Amino acid sequence: MKQTYIKFPLHLIFHPFDAFWDLKADNRGRLGVAFSALALTALAMVLQKQYAGFLVNNFDPRYMNSLMDILAVVAPFFLWCVANWAVTTLMEGEGKFKEIILASGYSLVPIFLIYLPMIAASRFMVQEETSFYYLFNSIAVAWFLLLLFIGNMTVHQYSVVKTVATMALSVVVMGIIVFLGALVLSMLQQLTDFFVNMYRELIYRT
Amino acid sequence: MAVKKSLLLLLGAALLLGGALPAAAGAPYESYLYNYWGDAVPAPDAYLPDKAVTGGDLGIGSFAEPSDAAVSPAGEVYILDSGNKRIVVLDREYRLRRVLESFDNNGTKDGFQGPSGIYVDGEGLVYVADTAGKRIVVLNAEGQLQRIVDNPRSDILASGFQFLPLKVTADRAGRIYTVAQGVFEGLMQFDEQGRFIGYIGTNKVRRDYREYIWRLFSTDAQRAQGVLFVPTEFSNADADYKGFLYATNIDPNSTVPIKRLNPSGEDVLKRFGYNDVRGDLIYRTSVGPSKMIDIKFIGDGMYSALDATQNRVFTYDDEGHLLYVFGGKGNQLGTLKTPVAVEKLGGDRLVLDRGRASLVVYKPTFYGAAINEAAALHYRGEDAEALGLWRKVLQLNSNFDLAYIGIGKAYLMEKNNKAALDYFKLGSDKKSYSVAYKRYRREMMKEHFGTVLTAAASAAALLAALKLAATWRGRRGRDREANLH
Repeated sequence: MKQTYIKFPLHLIFHPFDAFWDLKADNRGRLGVAFSALALTALAMVLQKQYAGFLVNNFDPRYMNSLMDILAVVAPFFLWCVANWAVTTLMEGEGKFKEIILASGYSLVPIFLIYLPMIAASRFMVQEETSFYYLFNSIAVAWFLLLLFIGNMTVHQYSVVKTVATMALSVVVMGIIVFLGALVLSMLQQLTDFFVNMYRELIYRT
Repeated sequence: MAVKKSLLLLLGAALLLGGALPAAAGAPYESYLYNYWGDAVPAPDAYLPDKAVTGGDLGIGSFAEPSDAAVSPAGEVYILDSGNKRIVVLDREYRLRRVLESFDNNGTKDGFQGPSGIYVDGEGLVYVADTAGKRIVVLNAEGQLQRIVDNPRSDILASGFQFLPLKVTADRAGRIYTVAQGVFEGLMQFDEQGRFIGYIGTNKVRRDYREYIWRLFSTDAQRAQGVLFVPTEFSNADADYKGFLYATNIDPNSTVPIKRLNPSGEDVLKRFGYNDVRGDLIYRTSVGPSKMIDIKFIGDGMYSALDATQNRVFTYDDEGHLLYVFGGKGNQLGTLKTPVAVEKLGGDRLVLDRGRASLVVYKPTFYGAAINEAAALHYRGEDAEALGLWRKVLQLNSNFDLAYIGIGKAYLMEKNNKAALDYFKLGSDKKSYSVAYKRYRREMMKEHFGTVLTAAASAAALLAALKLAATWRGRRGRDREANLH
């Protein structure tokens, strides 16, 4: 229990090549861990806006909306997973959709592991020390990106160049999905408008 | 029914009477400030219009195109009545003192030909920029000619140079600075003998990259036909008591339309506020940003700038915090049509309105006077004395961030770091907050160092003991298994 849910993710972020392989081949990944990491990352983002120290918190509290903050983490995550799955399926990737979710979710671990303590630490910082806050947060993001890259490479059994290419393509596909979604939504809206108007025309026709 | 009718009547009468009651005197403009987030937030009126002085009221005929005003250290108000080619002098109570129409120039009677700028220095000398006369005339307070500055000679001036001074100011040493028409190199500087020394404070030309790329592809003929990029001219200047020059320019895209030039011409204006020192931050693109056409050094670091876009007067403190805004467009008393000059007489602010040929007098409200006084005390470093005034200001305007910061600074002086922290947070002043927090943290650490260390030491000892106990028990278990007991 402790081995799978706590020790393995911690082992993974320090030994990504071995651990991602174990995750794929030995079936050591758990969806529960991936989703918990996602939830904790969303929580870290929400807490950062509310509780980060005054000196590093440049957020206008009048526009605080935690639901949007959560959505801003969760929506891109699933969008990424879907886009990555779509791209890698066409490009001979060996990863299954579940493995993509696992790899992406486990990659998020350093983000909340660093963000959450930094939120607390930032409350005890003076101006000169805030650069450490920004430094550690940047490290967290860089670490996450590195893990995401290694995870992708291992799960799909790609070369470095192909991983970079598929990851870039996935981002493009994310944009396409959003574009198509918006298009469909606006079409549906126009369609409903059309039928509503037609109904109105009919009932007012005497 | 009858009761109902009479009740209705009563209600109607009450409404009518209520409407007829005199409302509290309000300004015909809305006062506001910009907060930390750059939003305009309402503020109480700091200055209210008191009266408008016209030539007709003074019994000397209407002013014609008045273009500038100045106040002497003795409290006399000089209005440059350009169209009538005369200077009208008022006393402290805005009553007519005298009219200067001519002066004695080496035995001949001379007058102004087309003046557009006036300045009175600390000794009461009157400097008149006589644009059409291509000269600066210096008179003493009695109207006798002191000297005339004209026809500047220098290697750096073009041979056919036309000296057309528009605005003039002078420092304590008697050096004269003038904004001249068609001069892009900065302010023209003359020494006390009236010799041209050089330019000071050239405005920089900003590089327009789009234009730069466009020029790369254009032919020489096209380039020659293109617009010339020259620095913007200054629109006005005012010397403070230290000999620094407050100068305004009307470059529409500049974020630094107000400058404080040191004697070597560098801009040393402090801009420590959250927002740019540029008048309005929010404006419609069709109207455009503030166009600063006059500036007046108030004293104690404060200065007022006159915006010709919205006809408002913006007053800033020494550190570049906006203190208050008054004035506006319109035809009522207090709103302005074509303002040209802002001046100060005691606590009053005067704005000369060319469009309505009148001098509008604004008097400070309780709120405005408190801000003036508190800002002055803060400038002199007497933050403790300013504390009470800032509190009064906050009672009238809880949106006034500077008051929170002022109170915070007063507490910081008293070493009340915790209270200072709270006030700096309210005023969104991160820099001061950091200073206060550093002190507070050190204080806390000193106070609790013993406790923390004791707790940490006991915790470590406890942990060690527990571990020891565990190993001991473990060894006993193993021993028992090995049948050693």
